[in-house]
Amino acid sequence: MSRRLLHSIALAGIVAVACTSHALAHCFVGARFLPATLATDDPCVADELSLPTVAWSKTGDFPPASELDISGEISKRITENFGVSIGQNWTSIRQADGTLTQGFNNLETAFQYQILKDREHELAILSGLIVDWGRTGSTGSGLATNYSLVTPTLYFGKGFGDLPSSFSWFRAFAVTGQVGYQIPTTSFDFTQNAFVPQQIVYGGSLQYSMPYLKSEIIDLGLPDFINHLIPIVELSLSTPVANNFGNPYTTTGTVNPGVIWVGSYFQVGLEAMIPVNRASGTGVGVLGQLHLYLDDMFPSTIGQPLFGGTSSPRKLTF
Amino acid sequence: MRILTLATTALLALTTAGFAHAHAFLDHAEPRVGSKVAAAPTEVVLFFNQNLEAAFSSIEVSDANGARVDQGKPRINAGTMRVGVKPLPSGTYKVRWQVLSKDTHTTEGNFSFTVGP
Repeated sequence: MSRRLLHSIALAGIVAVACTSHALAHCFVGARFLPATLATDDPCVADELSLPTVAWSKTGDFPPASELDISGEISKRITENFGVSIGQNWTSIRQADGTLTQGFNNLETAFQYQILKDREHELAILSGLIVDWGRTGSTGSGLATNYSLVTPTLYFGKGFGDLPSSFSWFRAFAVTGQVGYQIPTTSFDFTQNAFVPQQIVYGGSLQYSMPYLKSEIIDLGLPDFINHLIPIVELSLSTPVANNFGNPYTTTGTVNPGVIWVGSYFQVGLEAMIPVNRASGTGVGVLGQLHLYLDDMFPSTIGQPLFGGTSSPRKLTF
Repeated sequence: MRILTLATTALLALTTAGFAHAHAFLDHAEPRVGSKVAAAPTEVVLFFNQNLEAAFSSIEVSDANGARVDQGKPRINAGTMRVGVKPLPSGTYKVRWQVLSKDTHTTEGNFSFTVGP
């Protein structure tokens, strides 16, 4: 396998992680709705489906290869606070000389538990364990590995609606974030004759909610389409931190400015993917996603937790 | 690829087929969210994008000191919730609401409006 292809596949892994490693939950915290983010995860469990998520970019090779990723992921609540996600990503890499490599990455699952939802402070905290299962993808093409990756991850989301009213329009901002420690189940990959590093996988988003602005702060009488938009900037990074002998400890990832349109039953997101350095890619890529709220589409069937149902509706108490 | 395309098309069709209920979002209000009105309103009306369950939907209007100025139980018709208010002198008032849509999803929010010249 050529060094260039190996490099491309490594970068493909980064994009694949950006596409599939996230539960993409329908997330209400008090008056705040945190949309399903595209490159990072939001801090809630829910019943949802992302299909498809499509990413196109150019790798950091010399010359760069074109990469296309198409993925899908379904998230299901087992109980009200515990959920499981299953995702799969298909990758196509075309080298400058026309060489084509295609196949599935390893199957990815995430097990997540909702630690906190503080309505008053629009704060949500979620814990998770992401597992990429080795030998479940196209190992022959090099797009999937023979070993698994286990990533304990912590997620948070915070809206600024609890700031004093003097902060006015600033209160429509919210941030989300996540940090995980990725541990491979092997320390050395004999097929590529390389050490497999442990990595910190982290990122977040800064978002401005036009729906929140309209319903909580000031109704400017803007067109309905505008009132459904959430402009967003996401950051998705990974940094090798251990078992990386002979390789640089270079942080790779992308900064993704974009926008999400939020409806009652689904949302559509579109982002540019700007590499943070040359090792992360060449030029600007594109990331798009259709995301369905299963809990709203099928509230009495698959939109419910498997066990326990949801909390009983409560009377308003001030 | 063909399977993905078919699945996406089917889901899109499903999504746009017209579901009955979802989370209820506040569409608009009278007085308007964050507005300043010269004439004191006699009621506050909230318009939602989904029908509401009256038994679990509530609203409170309070003045700058936190004293309630609404007249109690709201009237709910489909996706509209209204509550009368006492005569309001100039000042800023806070509206807090919580509603249950027909599919049992709860949403909540609050906003202010100002009465004054």
